Amino acid sequence: MSSKGLAKAEDIYANRAGRVRELKAEGKKIMGYVCAYPPLEMVTAMDYAPIRVIGSMDQPITKADTQVASIICPMLRSMLDLGMKGKADFFEGFIGAHTCDCTEKFCHLYQYNVQFPYYHFLDVPHIAHKASFGFMKAGFQLFQKTLEAHTGRKLDPDRLKEEVKKHNAQRALVRELYALRKQDPPLLSGSENLQIMLSLLSIPIEEGSGMLKDIIAEVKARKDGPKKKAARLLLWGSPLTETSIIDMIESLNANVVMDDICTGTRHFWHDVEMTSDPLDGLAKRYLDDLKCPRTFRETTSSFEEDQEVRFGYIKDYAKEWNVNGVILQSMKYCDTHGYEVPAIKAYFDRLGIPSLYLEHEYTMVALAPLKTRVEAFIEMIS
Amino acid sequence: MAEEKKKRAITRLESSALVRPLVNKMYMEGTLAGMEERPVAWSMVNWWEGDIIMRAMGVTPVYPENYGTVCAALGIAQKYMGVSVAEGFPTHLCGYAQNTIGYTTEMKREGKVPEGAPMGGMAQPTFMLSSEGYCDARFKWFQSLRQFWNVPVWTLPFPHPAYTDTSLQDVHKVNVEYMAVELQGFIAFLENLLKKKLDRDKLETMLDNQEKVLKVWWEINELRKAKPCPMHARDFWTMMVPCYYLAYDPETLTVYQQVYNEVKARVDNGIGAIPDEKYRLIFAELPPWHSLGFFDKLAERGWNFATESIGYHPPPPMELNGGSDLLYRIARWTYWQYINTRYRAAKMGYPAVGAAQPFYNWAVEYKIDGILTHPLVTCRTATFWLTHWMNVLRDKLDIPGMSIQGDIVDLTVFDAATALNQAPAFEESMDHFRKVRKSKGLDW
Repeated sequence: MSSKGLAKAEDIYANRAGRVRELKAEGKKIMGYVCAYPPLEMVTAMDYAPIRVIGSMDQPITKADTQVASIICPMLRSMLDLGMKGKADFFEGFIGAHTCDCTEKFCHLYQYNVQFPYYHFLDVPHIAHKASFGFMKAGFQLFQKTLEAHTGRKLDPDRLKEEVKKHNAQRALVRELYALRKQDPPLLSGSENLQIMLSLLSIPIEEGSGMLKDIIAEVKARKDGPKKKAARLLLWGSPLTETSIIDMIESLNANVVMDDICTGTRHFWHDVEMTSDPLDGLAKRYLDDLKCPRTFRETTSSFEEDQEVRFGYIKDYAKEWNVNGVILQSMKYCDTHGYEVPAIKAYFDRLGIPSLYLEHEYTMVALAPLKTRVEAFIEMIS
Repeated sequence: MAEEKKKRAITRLESSALVRPLVNKMYMEGTLAGMEERPVAWSMVNWWEGDIIMRAMGVTPVYPENYGTVCAALGIAQKYMGVSVAEGFPTHLCGYAQNTIGYTTEMKREGKVPEGAPMGGMAQPTFMLSSEGYCDARFKWFQSLRQFWNVPVWTLPFPHPAYTDTSLQDVHKVNVEYMAVELQGFIAFLENLLKKKLDRDKLETMLDNQEKVLKVWWEINELRKAKPCPMHARDFWTMMVPCYYLAYDPETLTVYQQVYNEVKARVDNGIGAIPDEKYRLIFAELPPWHSLGFFDKLAERGWNFATESIGYHPPPPMELNGGSDLLYRIARWTYWQYINTRYRAAKMGYPAVGAAQPFYNWAVEYKIDGILTHPLVTCRTATFWLTHWMNVLRDKLDIPGMSIQGDIVDLTVFDAATALNQAPAFEESMDHFRKVRKSKGLDW
């Protein structure tokens, strides 16, 4: 791939599968995975390029409906559909995870239909009690065992520590990139940012970090960044695999300057602590530090305190990125995000930050009615 | 002259009537506990993992999930769902959850059990007991209720190992140990909250009873393999309630023993649950609680539902070893309920068919002619696999399937007339595949 920096991210975003096929042709071994929970450090330590399996909002679901009902998460249905159409044939294996109930079921059904040579399913607890970390670690040990059995070689603990450092270095670069949107106007649009994040999920770690360094230098020097607009928005919710919703928002008088989605900050934000047994640090990072509504947080002495525990980190984002509005978005049939909506909305109300909830169908065609609502919201907060 | 009341096509078990007083007692206990300000827990079905412990500590559980079925059956759920939507909860969330959220909103607004709430309503909780088991609603729902009830929520663990895991024995050890350790944490939580100690002797007595209940209930369902099937799904749905909520209670054991005797007598005398069993079916997964009379219409056509609702069936006698400590015993039963079909399939020499394994086992053992699925608008857990199960039964065993869209709670989406119109064509399909199976050497 000859392009660099932002152009490279745009190219990869436009043809994600193309880049993965190139990598495979170059001799890279490709491992698919779902959600943000599989410990990618272990995957790269076994010389695989981990590529996140995502759906597509602009391709109609035609085959998956023979396997699963239409009231299931449309992104998972799309992922299954693409797999059944042979569009995941570059994966040597697939790592599934119990992240939410539908994702778990999707993983088993995906494997049943696509039949990858290697399949491992990680059981991730919904609670983060003391014993849960040991359980998570035992799950990683089992994962290690099946990876070793598949590859015929041992995972070197020193190599794993090196990989942890490498991934942490990429996370630091991502945080540096996000910091470029703190100023007003931001140096990078929300759409550009999502393109970069989706590209990072589609290429090897070294290539991604190199791309990030180029992008950071390019963006710092750019003169053609986003214009100053009335609204500085934070975007929360279920995964976005296309920029269409952010494009729609940014076509109005608003910049999306920060996010809390799992194809954004949730995936990249937190480092893995360096521990003598790297699996301990990995267990803590993936079970506790990674914030997603699929994990139950212990209740406290009041609902307000619960809200701080559950959403306090988003308040910090809102403050640091100086946002004046929040878009809460979720695709239809996403239960874990759906249950969250009244509580998080009440939280932002209490903070005095206006918010708007959008439910979408995970298709490009259904965005027009949402645009009218976003427009009204921006006018209101301006 | 008054027209003689038409006899229903399903001959319900006489002993199933004994369940109603048990259920009434359960609701009465909840109401009384609330009135007397004794500890009440709102609890999810947790597959015998946590209820028995809190029962042994004098807590009275109240089950919003079951209350959802009651409200649905009485047509009151629709109102509560509307209230939930007005509170900002999306319409696709679990119908039982929406019902509870609506009920709770009304209860907070009125400052008492809402006017018109059936069965005396649900008393205000002292705490809420969630479970990780099976679906996300089981913990997200109670987490959502925190905005109404300033009481703690405890979540029980529930491992979800892969269907395809080849080292189940290793995984089993880790999983059961984890559950047992977490149960110790649950006891500590209760002891701290209630300022009293767990009476382990009482727990053991309750557990002994619970294990006997599970055994009898499993044996009853085994008897349903007989031809004609002596007990219809409607009786199962009525009688699963005490197994899940009152398994600790000696009265439940007595009732189940009577049910066993009645079902056994039917088997011995060749009596079926419907007069003329033409087709034996599986119902997957949860029924339309608001329209159960629909099954009588199907029974008139000779459709007998020999088994159903896999998530609510009792596990067979335990085949997994492990610690004999009380908490290990509890953990092992809950875990065994989740994974037993894979063990049994391997033992019986069935092909591994992933998530469809329970239905493959059932289809062979109950000599099933067809599967009727019921995709639910508000429940992804009970809906996700339905198409896959139908595909596997068709592809591996030449058993056809039919689907009726509906919901557990929302009665507006269930179209019984259309479903009945499809019945003749499905019967032709079941007849055809019966011949296909015979031609392939299968014995039904």
